[in-house]
Amino acid sequence: MSQPILQLKNLIKTYPNGTQALKGVSFDVKKGEFLVIIGLSGSGKSTLLRCINRLHDPTSGQILFNGEDIAQAHGKEVLSIRTRIAMIFQHFNLIPRHTVISNVLMGRLGNMGTLGSIFGFFSKTDKDNALKYLNLVGIGEKAKMRADNLSGGQQQRVAIARALTQNPEILLADEPVASLDPATCHTVMDYLQKVNRELGITIIANLHFLSLVRQYATRVIALKGGEIVYEGDPKNIDDAWFEKIYGAGAKEVHIN
Amino acid sequence: MNLYAFKRNIFDSIMFAFLASVAAVVIFQPDEYAMLELGRNFQFFVAALIIGVILTTLLNRAGFKTLGEQIFEPPYKKAQAKDESWWRTLHGWQLVIFLVVTLIVGFNVTGFSIYKLVDKDSFGPAMKLFAGIFDPNWDLLPRAVLKMIETIFLAFLATFLAIPIAFVLCFFAAKNIMRHPLAFIVYLCLRTVLNLARSIEAFVWAIIFSVWVGIGPFAGMLALFIHSIVSLAKQYSEIVETVNDGPIEGIESTGAGKVQTIWFAIVPQVLLPFISFTVYRWDINIRMATIVGFVGGGGIGSLLQTYQGQAMWPEVGTIIFVIAFVVWFMDTTSAYLREALK
Ligand SMILES: Nc1ncnc2c1ncn2[C@@H]1O[C@H](COP(=O)(O)OP(=O)(O)O)[C@@H](O)[C@H]1O
Ligand SMILES: [Mg+2]
Repeated sequence: MSQPILQLKNLIKTYPNGTQALKGVSFDVKKGEFLVIIGLSGSGKSTLLRCINRLHDPTSGQILFNGEDIAQAHGKEVLSIRTRIAMIFQHFNLIPRHTVISNVLMGRLGNMGTLGSIFGFFSKTDKDNALKYLNLVGIGEKAKMRADNLSGGQQQRVAIARALTQNPEILLADEPVASLDPATCHTVMDYLQKVNRELGITIIANLHFLSLVRQYATRVIALKGGEIVYEGDPKNIDDAWFEKIYGAGAKEVHIN
Repeated sequence: MNLYAFKRNIFDSIMFAFLASVAAVVIFQPDEYAMLELGRNFQFFVAALIIGVILTTLLNRAGFKTLGEQIFEPPYKKAQAKDESWWRTLHGWQLVIFLVVTLIVGFNVTGFSIYKLVDKDSFGPAMKLFAGIFDPNWDLLPRAVLKMIETIFLAFLATFLAIPIAFVLCFFAAKNIMRHPLAFIVYLCLRTVLNLARSIEAFVWAIIFSVWVGIGPFAGMLALFIHSIVSLAKQYSEIVETVNDGPIEGIESTGAGKVQTIWFAIVPQVLLPFISFTVYRWDINIRMATIVGFVGGGGIGSLLQTYQGQAMWPEVGTIIFVIAFVVWFMDTTSAYLREALK
């Protein structure tokens, strides 16, 4: 079997204020997986993703990305890691006043010189790719619109296109559909699945709804209080596991 | 001792030392010579401060709430406090006594006198001034307009040259950008320098530069230039501190560097407020240019100073008219501009 694309070994994150968000998390991610992380609010899901692309500095432990430890990388190395491990967010995090296409082009920033990017010297290839990925997520015709004039679901698709222009090996998604309505929610999840299956990009997503997890995940990890309490096939999460993850008395909500 | 009690003690003891000083002046009726003995009087003040600290500590311990306690006490203590009418509380009376004493001292120090305002001997010359001002000498108008134009350009150049410097500085003075420990030290130093420089008024800079480069519009421009850098940098940085974190995180996640993140995630968010504040600064600078001119900064202020010094009121009237018109005009246009930029 080939080497995992990502290996976490005893990852610990303690925030400066003393909060222990991750208390020794270890797992492997194989190339091409659609891994979903579930858990209550505050269980450390966002912290975990932000440690993987080094938006946060892990306190200790290892993150092996293609076999190379990136947990303690610094300076320019961190920027290069982020270009290869893209991320999308619950609130999309686009630049509201810029056009859709200009937002998508920002996925190239990590591969450009500072001055060149400030003066807007994006190459023909970059522009073609940006449009290609916009078409891939089905909103090519919105390229010239201002990003804040799009609906939430469309903005998240722009964010996916921006991530794709980075040419990433891994795509992290922090609750990508948590602020969308149920119908839009499936559209966005379908595009993530498309990215996963057609482009072969490994996806690690934080999700809230178990029904979505069962539908899209190839594997699931549950966090509780910064520790892994479940790891395996989403279909095997029964009521007992559900109670263990979400606490006694919790009920599953269905979303269709 | 916790922080809040420390603040309370400082507050109450300064109040006490002030009242004690006033009492001492009333009781001992010192002459001017005694008032000028700064060292001894300072010792008295410090002694009063120490007594004040002891007093406030004892009073609060005995259950009498002082004004400092009332202001600085933490919320959990405030929640336990019982509701009392102010005249039944120590801090109520403390405030009343302080206000009354301050008012009386204020009247005394400024030599406040209704009599002087309406007295014939002093009112007469004032009438002459009004008569002159309301009957301007229009022969001076061309010269006043020319000097006003000089002033407008002086203010414009000072603002314009300050923009790029303030723009660069503001990011180093914004807390949300300078998070890294080393960066935070730079932030603290810059903030301190900016605050110190801000406490020096534009007309003081004008005095300095009028000696340095000679009296004239260049000195005035430099004075307003320094003042604008400091004010704009501070205002810009406050805007930067209010930006939305989402876009910053979004751009950072693409592997963008620090400068790229600022340019693509922060600048689009702050551009309009920046322009709005800059227009306002130009407006303020035109007003300040007249004051700066008074102390050697050229422009219409210098002209005003010349005629005011010779009590040539009709000429002063012309100048005041020109200044008032331009200030009103700038005020209105800049308000419209800023409204449109929202
Ligand atoms: N910047 C931060 N500073 C301090 N504590 C934080 C910070 N971000 C998150 N936390 C804390 O870390 C824990 C995990 O948070 P998070 O990773 O956001 O959980 P989740 O995404 O699963 O809701 C929570 O207790 C949260 O309060
Ligand atoms: Mg979260």
